[in-house]
Amino acid sequence: MSKPVYGLGGRYAKWLISAPPLLYLLLFFAIPALIMVFAAFRFPGDYGGLVPLVDVNPDTGARELLLTAENWRDFLTFENFGRFFEDSIYLELFLKSFWYAGLTTLICLVLAYPLSWLIARSGKKTRDLLVLLVILPFWSNFLIRVYAWMIILGPQSYFSRVLNGFLGIFGIEPVSLLFSQFAVIIGLVYVHLPFMVLPLYANLEKHDMSLLDAAQDLGANAWQRFWKVTWPLSLPGVWAGVALVFIPALGMFAIPDLLGGTNSMMIGNLIKQQFLDSRDWPFGSVLSIMLTLSVLLLAAVAAWAGSRHKKKD
Amino acid sequence: MKKWLVMLALLAGQAHAEDVLNLFNWNNAVAPATIKKFEAQCKCKVKETYFGSMEEALAKLSAGAKGFDVIGPSNYGIPPLARQGLLLPLDKSKLPNLKNINPAFANTALDVNNQYSVPYDFTVTLVGYNATKLKELGLQADTWSIVFDPAILAKIRGKVTVLDDPREVIAAALRYNGYSANSTNPDELKKAVATIRAAKPYWAAFNSQSYIKELTVGNIWVALGYSNDMFQARQDAQAAKRPFEIAYGLQKEGNGMTADSFVISKHAAKPELALRFINFMLEGQNAAEITNSIGAGNPNTAALPFIRKELLSVPAINPDKAQAAKLEQLSDQDGKTRRAWNKAWTELKLVR
Amino acid sequence: MNKVSRWVWGAAIGVYAFLYLPLAIVVLFSFNDSNLNAEWVGFTLKWYVMLFNDEVMLEAALNTLGIGLVTCVVATVLGTLAGYAMYKWRLRLLPVLVLTPIAIPEILMGVSLLIFFVMLNMTLGLVSITLSHIAFCIGFVAIVVRSRLQGMDESLVEAARDLGASPAMAFRKITLPLIMPGIIAGALMAFTLSIDDFVISFFTAGVGSNTLPLEIYSRVKVPMKLNPEVNAVSTLLMLLTLSLILIVSKVAPNALRAE
Repeated sequence: MSKPVYGLGGRYAKWLISAPPLLYLLLFFAIPALIMVFAAFRFPGDYGGLVPLVDVNPDTGARELLLTAENWRDFLTFENFGRFFEDSIYLELFLKSFWYAGLTTLICLVLAYPLSWLIARSGKKTRDLLVLLVILPFWSNFLIRVYAWMIILGPQSYFSRVLNGFLGIFGIEPVSLLFSQFAVIIGLVYVHLPFMVLPLYANLEKHDMSLLDAAQDLGANAWQRFWKVTWPLSLPGVWAGVALVFIPALGMFAIPDLLGGTNSMMIGNLIKQQFLDSRDWPFGSVLSIMLTLSVLLLAAVAAWAGSRHKKKD
Repeated sequence: MKKWLVMLALLAGQAHAEDVLNLFNWNNAVAPATIKKFEAQCKCKVKETYFGSMEEALAKLSAGAKGFDVIGPSNYGIPPLARQGLLLPLDKSKLPNLKNINPAFANTALDVNNQYSVPYDFTVTLVGYNATKLKELGLQADTWSIVFDPAILAKIRGKVTVLDDPREVIAAALRYNGYSANSTNPDELKKAVATIRAAKPYWAAFNSQSYIKELTVGNIWVALGYSNDMFQARQDAQAAKRPFEIAYGLQKEGNGMTADSFVISKHAAKPELALRFINFMLEGQNAAEITNSIGAGNPNTAALPFIRKELLSVPAINPDKAQAAKLEQLSDQDGKTRRAWNKAWTELKLVR
Repeated sequence: MNKVSRWVWGAAIGVYAFLYLPLAIVVLFSFNDSNLNAEWVGFTLKWYVMLFNDEVMLEAALNTLGIGLVTCVVATVLGTLAGYAMYKWRLRLLPVLVLTPIAIPEILMGVSLLIFFVMLNMTLGLVSITLSHIAFCIGFVAIVVRSRLQGMDESLVEAARDLGASPAMAFRKITLPLIMPGIIAGALMAFTLSIDDFVISFFTAGVGSNTLPLEIYSRVKVPMKLNPEVNAVSTLLMLLTLSLILIVSKVAPNALRAE
């Protein structure tokens, strides 16, 4: 390896820099999460929670491990994973959620790109203000914002009435906007949009304008300049935005709960149902593991495809 | 803001001497004025922590959250809490006002002999509706068919919401089919699921959160929900001078009912104070305040004289004998039934 | 203005309109003389008066802001380190640890953190909420910072090193200013995620450690208390945060701007 050129170097730099976030995430994320990952192999308690592995001995008051080499089958099981695979409805729900999240991400990208580009091209002072303006609405409470959407999409709203009046001219039946898949997608796009704009902006902001000028001098039209110069350079920002929108959107449950109709369930709702309805923590954990693994797998495939792409260049 | 001051005080090494009672309950179930009254009486401070759903609170307590003295769960939450060893049996000698409890609500299957709990209000799962609209359409809401019969639903398509809760909706469908709301019979469950499946295309949404508002605004006309929410929707519609009236009533096939109770946490730091609080809440006037403010039914006979007259005529708040006989308290299900209902619910939600 | 930039401007204004349409309703209805929150009735300040007498809500708002600020600072520092490390070295564990908290369902994370804190015998409260918020915010910051670093022109740093700058000096003088827009974007996301979080806060909150989302969600069941006072507190929190940022940018302009 050549000498470290970018920023901090030295033999210990790697450890000094990666240790703080690594240790923090190990302690306050990985260890706690492993407790619940382990829960996927346990039985749900009859009254919620899990079948306990330790018990307090009534005579001595000491805590005792109930699990032994002989009786582990009473405490550990693969059955929860079996349930996931034996019925196609869970897979169906996964696919549907992927479709919702994918569509959300695509719409966010299309909406965010011109906006981020514009912010990145603005003067320094306006730029900060424009960035702030993107995130500002999100400092009001989530529930209140979504309730505002319910007002906008509700059948009594000006928006709905104007739209349906318009549709009526063409003899189209009035449509109900609220409680529909359309409303769910609007809501998903709305709550995730800043998470696409911010990474894109952070990336586009550093682009070297002289490259675009050079391309223009060589006779490239606007579309070619975008497609050959701006877009490829912005790809890291696009990927960051896609990750920060797609992954959280996949596990969302509040938006389908509030804006969805009778067919808007997503995987997040099913997971929530396991914890906050059927008190089936092990199955909730199985579903969570499947969701997380599929995301990590997708990320690994994307990274692999990215590195192959680079090699080709 | 006080907390930051308290924290500063603690940092400075000063302890807070006043007794504090920690209450974990539904927001606003106990009126703020009632809390103040108790604080004056006990010369202590009541600190409230809220939950917005029983299952959320159960999950939190099952995972081991401590620090609460009195908890106010729905009754079906009592067996899970008790069986997990999270509750303290009540010392009834310290609860003289226990005599005020209506026998119909005492000693239920969910807590035999009221070993752990004392009920303080109850809610009926029923139909709330836009009375003006339904009259126009010539429809009756005194039967569950307004929610489940496709022939009737065809006239109010897209104007109906039901709770997003398998326990409540399947229970209602069971009653509609003439079965017990607590049925564990798989065939009866199948019938109820078929009923819901046939009705679902006509519903607008599964909605537990905003149906009150949708009713008052006029976006929906019929909602399967809780009696105290309907009370609120009716009041809101009147206050906002809507051009229609919101009403609610019991269904002739019978309704599910859920009582809420006070229990004492096993980890209570102040069990004596907790008992005093519960006994205080059993006094007629204090108990009546719950009904007067949130429109929940009242299991306390001593409360009746203090309840506003117009509320006493509401069947969901003060049912007569015949009506009360058709109210069925929802039981806590065993794990197997819970799983079966849950899976049925997931399938129902996925099917078009 | 040429055709292309007119088109881009049009699109951008459209997106801002989309972002501000619901917000306009939130703010407008905080002045609406109706607790229905559905249509305009008349102007009033009564919800603000009610809010200023509502100690519970004010305390929750203050807690939310405090947790949000601490989370924002700590998660931004740790996230920037993580993003930098992921860009610089081929690490195995860190990228997984950064991505998983974003992917894992928040309920699972909430329950597991609660069990963990109980095992440690830690008193639940503002501290446990903050620790949990930091954990799920680090990833957001790290991913943005790394994407900002990717494809960066390295010649500047090389030049600084050739001129004799120590690695630390080169980082502080060259790299840090260059990635500042990424850091700011990450910090804004961390703050936003923290003040809006309900699920993880619910599980990790202790006795009386209330945050705004917790308070508001508990009122959903009590519609009488879910009135425009909630809009008022939302509006005020937004203004308060905005003015905090403006003050900081006036007092320490360099802290917030990429040079």
